[in-house]
Amino acid sequence: MNFYEHTLIAKQDLSTPDLNNIEKKYKDIITKTDGKVIKVEKWGLLNFSKKIKAYNKGFYIHYKFEADNKTLEEIRRNSIIDNSLLRHLTVKYKKLDTDTEYFKENNEKKK
Amino acid sequence: MKRKNNKFNKRPQNPLNKLSLFQKSDSRFSKKCPLSGKDAPKIDYKNIKLLKRYVSDTDKIMPSRITSVSQNKQRKLTSEIKKAKILGLI
Repeated sequence: MNFYEHTLIAKQDLSTPDLNNIEKKYKDIITKTDGKVIKVEKWGLLNFSKKIKAYNKGFYIHYKFEADNKTLEEIRRNSIIDNSLLRHLTVKYKKLDTDTEYFKENNEKKK
Repeated sequence: MKRKNNKFNKRPQNPLNKLSLFQKSDSRFSKKCPLSGKDAPKIDYKNIKLLKRYVSDTDKIMPSRITSVSQNKQRKLTSEIKKAKILGLI
């Protein structure tokens, strides 16, 4: 069981209920294939430095979890099929630091 | 006899080179790597405030001879910057 960080970028024209069920969908995928979600961060609407598929902004959802190879394969397969996601990136870590949050302040500003 | 030949094989001394060597040794070698100190910031693809400092205005990664970053930290820096670029953060 290794530690992973997975970030998703969803399209900007999604409504908040859509966003919530995207987040819930991938959380269920992780827990279903016996992974363990440690933390979920919503970085909110950030604009890209370059255009990604004709979009300038995107909702970022960040997962920190502990899982095996099966969950990774499942996540990758689903996020490729899912056309509301622009991009995703999974990073493997030996140990996760869940305390530092880099995108917390711009959420506070927006609220 | 042999020693004499040796004298002529020496590289031609370039006066300019000596001057620049003197100046270089003052400014560049004395600077320590800002990332390998005790309380150095963590190099992470999410920490864009730090990564932005080592990226030029045209989004190119600055060479370590300019930013005087140690080789080990420079390798970490480039991989994290590339991950941030994939996510469109930088």
